[in-house]
Amino acid sequence: MSVSVLIVDDSPIARKMLRRALPPDWDITIQEASDGAQAIDIYRKGSVELMFLDLTMPNIDGYGVLEVLQAEGLNCIVIVVSADVQPQARERVLAMGAIAFIPKPVNPEGLQEVLRQYGILV
Amino acid sequence: MINGLNEDQSAALQELANIGMGQAGNSLALIWKEFVHLSIPRIAMVDASRLPDLILSFVGDTAVSASRQAFHGGFRGEVLVVVTARDRNGLAQLMGYEGQLDAAEREEVLLDIVNILGGACVGGIAQQVSAEIGFSAPSLIGEDLDPLDVINPEQLAIDTALSLEVCFQVENRSLTAHLVILLPNNEVGALADLLDQFLCTLEA
Amino acid sequence: MNDEYNTILADFIVERLELGVFAVDAQFNIVLWNRFMHTHSGKSAQSLKGSNLFTTFPELPESWLKRKIESVFALGNYAFTSWEQRAYLFRFKHNRPITGGVEAMLQNCTFLPLKDEKGKVEFVVITLQDCTDNALIQQRLAEAITISDEERRKQQELIVKLEDAKNQLFQSEKLASIGQLAAGVAHEINNPIGFVNSNLGTLERNVTDLMKLMAVFESKEAELPEAAQQELSKIKKDIDFEYVKEDLAALINESKEGLGHVRRIVADLKDFSRVDQSGWQIADLEKCIDTTLNVVSNEIRYKATVVKEYGHPPLVECVPGQINQVLMNLVVNASQAFPERGQITLRTGEEGMYVWIEVQDDGVGIPSENLQRIFEPFFTTKPVGTGTGLGLSVCYNIVRKHEGELTVRSEVGKGSCFRILLPIFHGKMGESEELEAAHSVPQ
Repeated sequence: MSVSVLIVDDSPIARKMLRRALPPDWDITIQEASDGAQAIDIYRKGSVELMFLDLTMPNIDGYGVLEVLQAEGLNCIVIVVSADVQPQARERVLAMGAIAFIPKPVNPEGLQEVLRQYGILV
Repeated sequence: MINGLNEDQSAALQELANIGMGQAGNSLALIWKEFVHLSIPRIAMVDASRLPDLILSFVGDTAVSASRQAFHGGFRGEVLVVVTARDRNGLAQLMGYEGQLDAAEREEVLLDIVNILGGACVGGIAQQVSAEIGFSAPSLIGEDLDPLDVINPEQLAIDTALSLEVCFQVENRSLTAHLVILLPNNEVGALADLLDQFLCTLEA
Repeated sequence: MNDEYNTILADFIVERLELGVFAVDAQFNIVLWNRFMHTHSGKSAQSLKGSNLFTTFPELPESWLKRKIESVFALGNYAFTSWEQRAYLFRFKHNRPITGGVEAMLQNCTFLPLKDEKGKVEFVVITLQDCTDNALIQQRLAEAITISDEERRKQQELIVKLEDAKNQLFQSEKLASIGQLAAGVAHEINNPIGFVNSNLGTLERNVTDLMKLMAVFESKEAELPEAAQQELSKIKKDIDFEYVKEDLAALINESKEGLGHVRRIVADLKDFSRVDQSGWQIADLEKCIDTTLNVVSNEIRYKATVVKEYGHPPLVECVPGQINQVLMNLVVNASQAFPERGQITLRTGEEGMYVWIEVQDDGVGIPSENLQRIFEPFFTTKPVGTGTGLGLSVCYNIVRKHEGELTVRSEVGKGSCFRILLPIFHGKMGESEELEAAHSVPQ
């Protein structure tokens, strides 16, 4: 059974870079959203299991998405992926329910380690 | 879209600059042992003839100091930094200068600012497109300049330039520096090729 | 070329290069120290390996340099220092112990990140270049440029002054030739005026005689036959004889007056330019003033009322042409001091062995900062092109040549007063009986 993944980033390049960093032989279906509002729409359809979330985006930003998810029961795993690497940012998103914070550019080994750590990838 | 670059290349450049500055912010916070938040740069491609107006719109009608540094290798160009006196003094404190700055120290701070920010930004981009980039020693453009006098577009051998505005948030203070990356017309192609190679690695 | 050979070559270059090369790890411990550094610091690589850079060299600016090196470790980028902003890192003796004049070797440094295969910075390599020679040359060049800039500025000033002087010369030559022309014209006009004058006198007498004859004719008119009387009366009426009779005298009088005026102008012109009699003379300064006022009357008529307060001083030995020029300058200057119209007062008087003349105006006055410079050549407050700035300096020099004094007092808003003080005797005229005679006071 494949894992349903949502990649949220306003930069198409960033979305591509993240796809490249995912384990190549992992059985997943990928959806993409280019801003927070779109991400929430897709999330509300109920199929998303794992969300890679950028912080700086137009319309609703990453923090806004986390707020909505928290209010609606946080029904998926969120990993924040951002170039904004200040320590406060990390603390804040972890407090808001994200399980991990990965700095850009995403390094495949680091990402896989996080996925294994949380049992998402066996 | 950036002049001379297609939509994909422009998007890639923006993302790579974001990442480069993000990494630099993290590294600077470590060195400066302060909570430094380096904003994601606002990137724009501007017509060379509009550069004086652009600099004026960055800082407003106030005297500025400016320095420059050349880079060469995978792609060639110059990076230019413009700061106000207040921001220069704030950055000097972060760099370990103590007390009142004398004239030579004020100049040195300006050279260091362009070296660190230029290195972070251009170096960050170069690293991600796997280009080797070297830097020449930075030099001073001038102090207490009218923002309109920093660049004389008539003396520029280029048509377009890449501008980045970088903000530092340090504790309760906010320091701002403005970067402009100048690429010679014939170097935009070299950068485009590098960006294409990078994009290919994503498609493969 | 194999790797071993490359390593030997690299080691050799680092060791023998005329460039300081050293490297530190992240704890600032020295891991590389080349021969150049050994020679100049007096500390060998062997003795330094592993020791801390900052404890070994306490003269280094620690807090700043640490951050600089740390930034190279963290960012993986180059960093630089330049002697122009920071003369040196290490206090090394320089290679110009005798001729240098600088306290230590001036240094340019480059900080290079040495990365491992993962891209992490392992060491920072620092190269140190001796810039003393270059710096000295640059300093001398800068000094030379400053000097040559200063010289160029002075030359520029001189060129402006020369230009002014040229214009002034041109102007004064023009004035001089106009003066000569005027004097020549005056001389030429003098003769015709003479015979016109004498003819006019004869004409007047002849007309008077004719009128006498006419009076007799008219008294005998009634005795003529009727026809002749009618003819005469008709002609008289046609030519308006009664009017002609009256007008003749008036015409002659007006002509005599006009001619008198012309003669006075010609005499003043000759007097003023003194082409016929230059050099030292015994002169009546009050007459000089009158002559000058006549010449410039057109210039000042609409600007000033002239008041004379003459003290009838003795005659003075002077060059009247030159004194006239001084007076003319002062009077014309005074007339330019009024925003609209004002009064110029000319006073004369005697003071010991001196005679003085004052030219006073009630105009705008001269600010004290200008008052000190007013007699300097080329000093002018008039708009460019209208004044040469030489008028007053020429006056000053003329008065000085007369061994006299030209002074000024002025108050802004109240006016200015120029005072010429001239010695009565000079002895320039040798045995001047005329002068002595002029001054002999009857007992």
